[in-house]
Amino acid sequence: MPLPAPLTEEQVYHGCPTEKLDFITTDDLEDLERPCGQDRVLRALEFGASMQAGGFNLFVLGPSGAGKHELVERFLSQHAARQPVPPDWCHVFNFQFSDRPEAIRLPAGEGRQFKKGMSDLAEELRTAIPAAFESEEYQARLQELQEEMAKRQHQGLFEIQEEANRNNIAMITTPAGFTFAPMRKGEVIDPEEYKTFSDEEKQLIESKVEELQKKLQQTIQQIPRMRKEVRERVHALNEEMVQLTLGGPIGELREKWLHLPDVVAYLDAVREDVVEHAEAFQDSDNGPPAGLLARYKVNLLVDNADTVGAPVIYEDLPNHQHLTGQIEHRAHQGNLYTDFTLIRGGSMHRANGGYLIIDARRVLTQPMAWESIKRILFSGEIRIESLERIYGLVSTVSQQPEPIPVSVKVVLLGDRMLYYLLSHYDPDFLDLFKVEADFEDDLARDDDSYELYSRMIATMARALEMRALERDAVARLIEHASRLAADQRKLTAHDRVLRDILSEADHWAGQSGADTVEACHIQQAIDEREYRASRVRERSREQISRGIVMIATEGEEVAQVNGLSVLRLGASMFGQPTRITATARPGKGQVVDIEREAKLGGPIHSKAVMILSRFLASRYAGEGDLSLSASLAFEQSYGGVEGDSASVAETCVLLSAISRVPLKQSFAVTGSMNQQGEIQAVGGVNEKIEGFFDVCREAGEIRGQGVLLPASNVEHLMLKADVRQAIAEGRFRIYPVSDINQAIELLTGMEAGDPDSSGQFPENSFNRRVADRLAKFAEVSKKRDDDGDVNSKNGGRNSD
Amino acid sequence: MGRVLVLLDGSRMSYAALNAAAEIAARTGAEVLGVFVEELNLLRSAGYGFAREVGSSSGISRPFDPVELEQRLERLAGQARRTLAGVVANYGGRHTLSIARGSVVDEVLALVGPQDLLVLGRVGWSSAPGARLGSTARGLLRRSPTSVLLWCERQVSPQGRVVVFLNDHDDANRRAIMAAAQAVRHSLQPVTVLLGEGADIPSDRLELIKRDLGVAESDMRVRTLPATDPVTISQILRQERATQLVVSRECALLRQPGAEQLLALLNLPVTVTP
Repeated sequence: MPLPAPLTEEQVYHGCPTEKLDFITTDDLEDLERPCGQDRVLRALEFGASMQAGGFNLFVLGPSGAGKHELVERFLSQHAARQPVPPDWCHVFNFQFSDRPEAIRLPAGEGRQFKKGMSDLAEELRTAIPAAFESEEYQARLQELQEEMAKRQHQGLFEIQEEANRNNIAMITTPAGFTFAPMRKGEVIDPEEYKTFSDEEKQLIESKVEELQKKLQQTIQQIPRMRKEVRERVHALNEEMVQLTLGGPIGELREKWLHLPDVVAYLDAVREDVVEHAEAFQDSDNGPPAGLLARYKVNLLVDNADTVGAPVIYEDLPNHQHLTGQIEHRAHQGNLYTDFTLIRGGSMHRANGGYLIIDARRVLTQPMAWESIKRILFSGEIRIESLERIYGLVSTVSQQPEPIPVSVKVVLLGDRMLYYLLSHYDPDFLDLFKVEADFEDDLARDDDSYELYSRMIATMARALEMRALERDAVARLIEHASRLAADQRKLTAHDRVLRDILSEADHWAGQSGADTVEACHIQQAIDEREYRASRVRERSREQISRGIVMIATEGEEVAQVNGLSVLRLGASMFGQPTRITATARPGKGQVVDIEREAKLGGPIHSKAVMILSRFLASRYAGEGDLSLSASLAFEQSYGGVEGDSASVAETCVLLSAISRVPLKQSFAVTGSMNQQGEIQAVGGVNEKIEGFFDVCREAGEIRGQGVLLPASNVEHLMLKADVRQAIAEGRFRIYPVSDINQAIELLTGMEAGDPDSSGQFPENSFNRRVADRLAKFAEVSKKRDDDGDVNSKNGGRNSD
Repeated sequence: MGRVLVLLDGSRMSYAALNAAAEIAARTGAEVLGVFVEELNLLRSAGYGFAREVGSSSGISRPFDPVELEQRLERLAGQARRTLAGVVANYGGRHTLSIARGSVVDEVLALVGPQDLLVLGRVGWSSAPGARLGSTARGLLRRSPTSVLLWCERQVSPQGRVVVFLNDHDDANRRAIMAAAQAVRHSLQPVTVLLGEGADIPSDRLELIKRDLGVAESDMRVRTLPATDPVTISQILRQERATQLVVSRECALLRQPGAEQLLALLNLPVTVTP
């Protein structure tokens, strides 16, 4: 198999030719209305926003910082502007069931008028009704009634008194009532004197007294009935006065709201209520009780008077109360009171008829909020209930507002993991969120995309209110976008990173007093970001350069190779070499993965080791037994190993251990391998190469070191300038390898050797040496087994 | 000023009057003399074997027994003594209770002097608003040598005024103004001077009245009555937010046939000067 040529400078970096950018600064570019490369999301949004059927709510999924929120809000605002304005909603007092406020729907903007109308009415009631009660007419009629009452109440008593007086009988007031006794000249006759009266006289007096007593009894017993009658007549008079006073203002309101039957019905209820409470309005000094007038207020829950198109609401704290609204309480002398005017609408109310944007992670972290959203979407109405009531923790009397029908499109924003978890674990999720809008992480990098991407950068720069970018700065940013995408043919779509770099570059441009942002400012922003995140990386490199962590970058060693690993810390990642060593001795065909045994290896790593052990067996043991007891270890690695990107290095080091052929330490190896020995792509190649490059540079001069990487990874390379420089000067080499034999040849300098038709490798080839050594192992093992058998047989005999 | 006499009969209204009396006494440093009269007519009527008592609210007729009546009166007298002591103690003054047996009017007239103030609650069933005045109150108003305050409990309005009714009888007017001045000193309320139908008052006399009342110009208002029927007067008193009315018994208002009806209609304390 021919050896691959090392990669050229052009192959390891896809530069952005400035001639493709047809502008001087980004000020020459127009804003981009729609983000480029997000067609899938835009189509999903377009569909989801227009789809009327139930359950077609949206879940916009993409990594955090991808600009989901800005895009969705911008899109929905444009979309919603063409839609009708939803109605206003208000709560009013329910005169029939005072704890269940009624909901009234009014065309947009009319809620305010209704509220004002009712407030004016209440104000009018406050003054007009007491004035009516003050009027001469009312006072005169009341006076008549009262006089009549007094007359009727006392007339009977006076008549009896008069009758008694006429008959010379006194009607005396006792502490508890009345009594009768014969009198003379206004004084009661002494009982002793009475005894001297004749029997006829006594008879006459006593029968008269008895008659009077009976009459008095009857009269007194009629008084309560009379009083009640008079009270009823006073009440009727009060009602009449109120009806007359109310006629004008309520009539006007009724006329105005004739087109809304709910409002008319409510106004009729108000009229009846005022009449019923007429007496409460009578107190002209203090006016009617505030609580009474408060009942005629209108609680305007949703006011769309200033709304243009359908509302687009973003709820940044989507807890249960903020979403569904709440019933507030007023503290008064240590007690809590509430009424329908303290009902507050939530974002669901405000978004009714439009769109509600919510962050999925936030809504899931709020107690009951997710359940509340689902309940509203399933039932199509918003019911305002407090959490403690839902949980059954309180049972005090509270308001139960009439539920308001809702038609809202909920747009959840979240990362992909959340979407897939919800789809899997929440059976309601896919019923309610049928539209999936999946953000692209990367955009294709081709000749057409340069202009769009430049315009996107220009739009971002203008949104950030920063200096314009020079053409070369845009080119540098495009190159960096490819590096961020880790692909020569892609550009990152990650909004936040680009914005951050732009803002930083603007800052550095400002520091240097430049009017525009130039390529050097972009580079400075990139370098500064890298530097700020470099503490751990530098510590790690220092340990290598001081020899605490042992890495060889020169010479040859048996059973030792430089693997490459990537460490991710927060938003930054870096690569560094790791020494991988192997041991080999005769045994029973097992390769011990020390990392796995020590529980430091992940499952993918274990899988890779198993693949390599089967590769060894099939290639070198043929039809015989693989007699090998080998071990593999990542030296000085204490943090765990995962992934299969070291399987090429592990294979090479193991073969070196078996064959005792030394490996060149000036190379580092990355790549995964299948059972056929073919080399497959891995991730993080840029960081790995740069990590090894830096280690070599710190160990001394770069002189012929290099990296072996899978050929399929070449188009992922976007290496930094100093590496490219060393490649151009031939001091550092990157070999794209596609087969394990190529890696072996590059690392050992020996021919790997292909087997002939009988399965034999050529003489003096590397593979031959491996096969021979393994055959030797097999012999040793066999001999040992035979000896063991004899011993065990002898043992058996001895034991007899 | 002499003593403040208050008529006690065990009713709620009489205790309200006692409270007012104690307050006035405390203000003027006078002694409160409670008068509890065991009415002769009442005692006599209980002496009849056939006498029965008809309940004033229930209308139920019960036997009326002299022994029981004596006990009741004794109990009421005891209660009157305790209440008198308690109420006066609240205001910090002197008090005496006089218990007598006989006619209420005669007993009171025997006790009262020309410098005293006589305070009455509306008694018996005449205490209900709109009811006619009882014979006791009527008799005392007519014959008392001193001012009679016919007390009536009502809500005190902060914007109220003291209303004094004047006529053309100078002496009577003077007494009424003195009584009103007392009320004003205590309540610090503005005054309305009411004049009879078609009457007028010269400005120099008005100045004198103002001086006697001891009020500022802005705190005095003069109104002439359009008519003197009870309904008009009660309407005007309502408009003025009257908290107290001072009127001379010589005044035409109380000499007309409807005078008692007027007093009965007014639901506010009325001072009737001799």
